[in-house]
Amino acid sequence: MKQLLQIELFKIFRRPRTYISFGIVTAITFVIQLAMLTDGKSYMSFALQGVNEQFDIHGNMINGYFITYIILQTLLIQIPLLVALVAGDTLAGEATLGTLRLLLTKPISRNQLILAKFMSSFIYTVLLVIWLAIVALGLSVLIFGRGDMVNIKSDTFILILQNDVLWRYAAAFCFAMLAMTTIASLSILLSVFADNSIGPIISTMGIVVVLTILSNLDLPLFNHIKPYIFTTHMIGWKGFFDDPVPVRQIGISALVLIVYTVAFAGTTLLVFNKKDIKS
Amino acid sequence: MIRRSLNTILILLCLAVQASAADANELFNTLRRKIFSVQDYTADVKMRISVKYMRIPQLAGTLYFKSPDKMRLERHGGLSILPRKNINLTIRNLIPAGNATVIDAGEAQIGGKKTRIIKVIPEDDKSDLVLAKIWVDETSMVALRIETATRNEGTLTMDLEYGRYISNGLPDKLLLTLDVKDFRMPKGMTMDYTESRPDEALKDTKGKKGTIQITYLSYKINTGLSDKIFTPEASEP
Amino acid sequence: MASPILEVRSLTKSFNQFKAVDDLSFAINKGAVYGFLGQNGAGKSTTMRMLMGLIFPDSGSIIINGSSFSNSQRQLLRNIGAIIERPDMYGYLSGWENLKIFAALSGKNIKTTRLHEVIEMVGLKGREKDKVKAYSQGMKQRLGIAIATVHEPDLLILDEPTNGLDPQGIAEIRQLILSLSKDHGKTILVSSHLLHEIEQVATDIIIIHKGKKMIEAPVGELLRPDDTRIEITLQPAPGLQQSIYQTSWAQYSPEIIDGVLTIKMNPAHIPALNKWLVVQGIEVSGITTQHSFEAYFLNITHETTAADRTV
Repeated sequence: MKQLLQIELFKIFRRPRTYISFGIVTAITFVIQLAMLTDGKSYMSFALQGVNEQFDIHGNMINGYFITYIILQTLLIQIPLLVALVAGDTLAGEATLGTLRLLLTKPISRNQLILAKFMSSFIYTVLLVIWLAIVALGLSVLIFGRGDMVNIKSDTFILILQNDVLWRYAAAFCFAMLAMTTIASLSILLSVFADNSIGPIISTMGIVVVLTILSNLDLPLFNHIKPYIFTTHMIGWKGFFDDPVPVRQIGISALVLIVYTVAFAGTTLLVFNKKDIKS
Repeated sequence: MIRRSLNTILILLCLAVQASAADANELFNTLRRKIFSVQDYTADVKMRISVKYMRIPQLAGTLYFKSPDKMRLERHGGLSILPRKNINLTIRNLIPAGNATVIDAGEAQIGGKKTRIIKVIPEDDKSDLVLAKIWVDETSMVALRIETATRNEGTLTMDLEYGRYISNGLPDKLLLTLDVKDFRMPKGMTMDYTESRPDEALKDTKGKKGTIQITYLSYKINTGLSDKIFTPEASEP
Repeated sequence: MASPILEVRSLTKSFNQFKAVDDLSFAINKGAVYGFLGQNGAGKSTTMRMLMGLIFPDSGSIIINGSSFSNSQRQLLRNIGAIIERPDMYGYLSGWENLKIFAALSGKNIKTTRLHEVIEMVGLKGREKDKVKAYSQGMKQRLGIAIATVHEPDLLILDEPTNGLDPQGIAEIRQLILSLSKDHGKTILVSSHLLHEIEQVATDIIIIHKGKKMIEAPVGELLRPDDTRIEITLQPAPGLQQSIYQTSWAQYSPEIIDGVLTIKMNPAHIPALNKWLVVQGIEVSGITTQHSFEAYFLNITHETTAADRTV
């Protein structure tokens, strides 16, 4: 099993496409940082219109912590694509390539193979989020400095003291890893049904986009199903920047994501174990 | 006999009103002199802002004040948040500076202390301040509570507690209750995870009230602060 | 009688309504090279995929070395090497890396010296560090054989290993198969849709048509030289029919129709017959030979093609 995992990781990290994801994360981060460097003040004064009417706020508001939040908010919609790029390719890509055939003529069980694919996709996802943490948080703090963090919700202005921020990011990045693992799991599941990798990548994105819209539509019809949609819970990381931190709600979200991840993985195993390899 | 008695009562009453008016005026002027004797101060403070739509932890910092109306909170690398415009966090700005009509409004107990209530109406028509009601502890010559009505900022209540700096008329603790407007951003813009819960401290306040509580740890008084300290740029690195 | 290393019993597999493999049974003896012949779409690949656990049969069983394949697939796969259809590999990795990966997954502890050995055996020495995407089809096939044999399995299953190769590549693979059989003692099941490719390497032949087994027999039996049909194109020679029947050639039942002499005999006799014809003053303008088995195989092929056309 260890060997199988090593081989899966070797395959992932020998492919140029893997590094494209890291490049995209870096590029988007740069773009947001650049935008904030030039337009951060007007962005902030727009966001704080309501607050500024009654309060004078001074100091380095557009600091590294604030910008990291903006980057996370933006990127966590794009990162599923990057996760799908690799996870959606794990099985379908090998089917396209024809190597799945050769792989399965070796004395390894299909369960082991799927497990190795899951674990390697998970490791890739974790590394991608760690990379995001490095460029988003590390670089932003380097460029914009530290400071108290302002978090603007639709109805609340939250101020987090600078010495109270880092643990929240650590927790938020961990939560993001979980959310992205759910995406990876979904991609692998879709990957079982396809013989080319474009299908699962596009389907994953389609599902994420549609469900995210559902999660954010404020319609009574959807409000009943929202708690059961995993995209509703993917933004659970934001909870760590609330005051007080809604621990129970975050716990529920984490649980929902874990249930989805396990369900996707279980279905993958079930389907793949019965699948005729015709590619 | 009756007539004489009545006359005496009337005269006494008139004298009493006049005397109390004179007393109230005197009291107000003495209090005002004491408060206005502080030209500037630098104070280490702890501040707690409780507004329905804001979640702000207790802020520690240095509060600079210079008369008549300059105030700045320095948070040493952190963000500084202060109410805007007239709602300055010092008693000086709640007291009419110019000529005013002062009316004695009786006595009341605040925190077990006997206080005299005076109502102050500024004679300046352009003043934002319409009415100030002041609860004065006459023995220490300090205001324990001020209620003001303003033209633009609604009503404002300031409760004060004194300790080491009572001789300067400067409080150790101050609680400002003020009116705040609501705040809302389009929901799609922020993609909220959860609805916010109202601040515990605001559970009892009705409507759109907010409070600001300041604990003064120490004061440096009348050190001749420069105006430069109060320019906004000074606080931005 | 050698013991069967592989036995297939009543194997059946349908895809939707289409019966790809229909009640197929055969056995492969140790050390033999079995040619698995059939049209494209006859069910060869489906059968081979079932032998490797890629496709699950609807019914029937596969027994390898006396054990049921479905019960101990992982154990049995350690002793099988395969190329199924195209030899697809990770193009972004080198031949060496591909070989290393699949060797690691073979369930056996394989030393680097063995990797060098197979690279040398399949003739890829010097090119093993190149990326596979830069390989020719023939090189990929040879790397495929290297991967199939690196863990020294007893049984090799090779699905159309010469597909897409040029004549030289075909000859090379043929040599490789012969060497694997003769020098390394492997049992081999090799499929093809071309008889002449198989007849040169196989000891036995199985013909499958529309999922059903048509023939299973040793090559020597099927391709007896005596069963060769020889057609000789002649100058018009009236009376030849009578005169030939007065000679010993009559035992091969010669027939002359429209100037073509057809005779069924061992091709070794052709020079003698030709000489006799020349002595008779008859000029020969062409000689073609076709084994009757080949004719039979082509007939199946043709029939299917014709049937396909009408559909």
